[in-house]
Amino acid sequence: MTVHKEEKIWAFFVLGMVVVFLGALAYAAWGLGLNTPYTVQQIPAEKTLEVFKPSVDCINPNVKRVENNIVICEDGRYYVNIVGMRFRWLPSNIVLTNPKEVKFRITATDVIHGFQIAGTNVNVMVFPGYIAEITWKIPPNLPAGKYLIVCNEYCGAGHQDMYTVMEIRK
Amino acid sequence: MATTPKYLWEDRFAKIAILFSFVLLALGSLFGLVQALARMPGALKALGLEGVITPNLYYMGLTLHGVANAVLFTAFFIMGLAVFVVTRDLGINLHGPLLCLACLLAVGGTLVAAVPILLGQATVLYTFYPPMSANVMFYLGLAVVVVASWIFAAVVLYGIYKWRRQNPGKEVPLGVWGVFTTIMIWLFATPPLAYEVLLLLVPMSLAGAPVDVLEARLWFWYFGHPLVYFWLLPAVTLWYVLLPRALGVEIFSKTMAKVAFILYLIFSTPVGLHHQYVDPGVHPVFKYLHAALTYLVAVPSFLTAFNIIATLERAGRARGGKGLFGWITALPWFKDPVFTGLAISIIVFGTGGFSGVINASFQVNYVVHNTMWIPGHFHTTVGTGVALSFLTASLLLIPLLFGRQILSIKAVKVAFVLWFIGILIFSVGGYISGLAGEPRRTYAPPYLNGVQLTGVYLLDLMKSAASVAMGGALMFWTGGAILLATLFFSTLFGKRVAFSGEVKLSPEPGPATRLDNLKLWIVIGLVLIVIAYSLPAVEVYSQGLSPAPPQPP
Repeated sequence: MTVHKEEKIWAFFVLGMVVVFLGALAYAAWGLGLNTPYTVQQIPAEKTLEVFKPSVDCINPNVKRVENNIVICEDGRYYVNIVGMRFRWLPSNIVLTNPKEVKFRITATDVIHGFQIAGTNVNVMVFPGYIAEITWKIPPNLPAGKYLIVCNEYCGAGHQDMYTVMEIRK
Repeated sequence: MATTPKYLWEDRFAKIAILFSFVLLALGSLFGLVQALARMPGALKALGLEGVITPNLYYMGLTLHGVANAVLFTAFFIMGLAVFVVTRDLGINLHGPLLCLACLLAVGGTLVAAVPILLGQATVLYTFYPPMSANVMFYLGLAVVVVASWIFAAVVLYGIYKWRRQNPGKEVPLGVWGVFTTIMIWLFATPPLAYEVLLLLVPMSLAGAPVDVLEARLWFWYFGHPLVYFWLLPAVTLWYVLLPRALGVEIFSKTMAKVAFILYLIFSTPVGLHHQYVDPGVHPVFKYLHAALTYLVAVPSFLTAFNIIATLERAGRARGGKGLFGWITALPWFKDPVFTGLAISIIVFGTGGFSGVINASFQVNYVVHNTMWIPGHFHTTVGTGVALSFLTASLLLIPLLFGRQILSIKAVKVAFVLWFIGILIFSVGGYISGLAGEPRRTYAPPYLNGVQLTGVYLLDLMKSAASVAMGGALMFWTGGAILLATLFFSTLFGKRVAFSGEVKLSPEPGPATRLDNLKLWIVIGLVLIVIAYSLPAVEVYSQGLSPAPPQPP
């Protein structure tokens, strides 16, 4: 059972790559805080909108201001409660002013959906019966403007219509 | 008659399985065309097809595309190929009546599941996530196919076991290594799927029982990842066994080929959480464990790449290729269609392997999950690496099993060119539009068709990349259609040809090595599965389930 020398070198190189990449991923997750979604709260799916209201709010209520029906948090730290249902996202007109950190809490009333802000790394599965919480730390160089929010998990014949536009103002 | 009288039952099984697989691929791929047109921005409107290709038809077709192509074409072809390889490599007969039963159940189950799909009562896609609920016959039909596959697996494994008992001290031939690991991976993978379908989804469909979606996904993806190795390993077996034979050389390293099969066997199942990185409710540490194991299951693919390229180098130099790259041009590109088809499959699979490593990369997965990146990825791996290898092998299986010549090798070569260029364009276009955020599994999105959204982040890039990608898809589709049609009609109308004598596949087996201790690898595989899955299972069940009521598709 001979193994050629070149093959051994290649195998060690591949294993080395595995170690380096896994190390980088672990560092990003636990060193830099860029981890995968985890937190949930369970709620009865049939009662979703009774116990969980779609809204934009502030993590620190002391810095909250409301102008023209738009919630502004002076410290840029927002809570956004999102409910997905066939075939729309509520709230459908999210405006964030100078956001630095956004905690999304997301659930669905009916079937599995996928919440994604297109072109960013905000991408999470949305389950009926579970409220998912993720924290988006906005990159400082993310431009102000309009962002497409899509549903990226098949949810029925209107799946393609389940989108909205979010605005980031700076 | 081409079938050796010695293998009457086995060859009948193989022929039915392979022919049926072609029919399934044709049906599923028909809807691939529908998908390409719907996802090319503006195409449906320009062609006046908006009223014909409706969302309902699209999603029904998408379900059929996934079920027929990804699950059934592959399973039937693999069963046929496995029986052919095992009989010729070991010179044994298999249990005819049980093979017959497996065949009837598999075909029957398929037809039963097809009816609700075609009637629009099972538009749940091939992943059928609850609480979307399909007609119960969809689930039962697929369950019957799985039971048929277990009967088939028992027949083949028993044949291998009998041969080993009669040939102690002999190593397992390489082709049989491939069949063995393919079947073992399938047997590791399917029990939780049976649990999900029979104990969660059938009660949901029949009695309206609510289902916890996280639990269902945990067990579906337990099955869903080894499923891709069930697809890949037969193709890898063709690369290790058929490719050297077609080129008239020996595989560079039989030993490392076996090592690769062993690593695939033990690492293909305990990795399913990498399909659930962005699922809430599962601890990141468990997801990371699966990420690490996924990187380990990438290792045998890297080893395979080395082994195959070294084999090709040997073949090129044997044909007079000199210098650092002369061996590449010396290979019989387009002169030998079997070599060409397998080489294209390997190259395209390689690109898909790299995108797969990105998918596996834990939080990097955020930027690709459920976007068009994913179809870009898997049409290179299963869609080309596996499917094209199977169709290329059919260039030999059709004369050997059906006794018919291929109608037109020229058509096959044209198909190869269209397929190769088309899939590269489709995949790269999909990668880019996916990174811009274009979702997968979606009918013509309004924001790419008709609804003008101005100033939206990366939307223009998404639109351009989607257009290019679908152009590639149409090319790839055309190549596939030409190839499949040529093969299918060759089985019916090809010039008759007869073979006498033995078919030699794997290299002659030598004495058994330490690697041929198959039981050890099965045990290690099971231990890893128990470790990798007991952790998230305990978490999901101990945090309590939150079942959601069923919804129509």
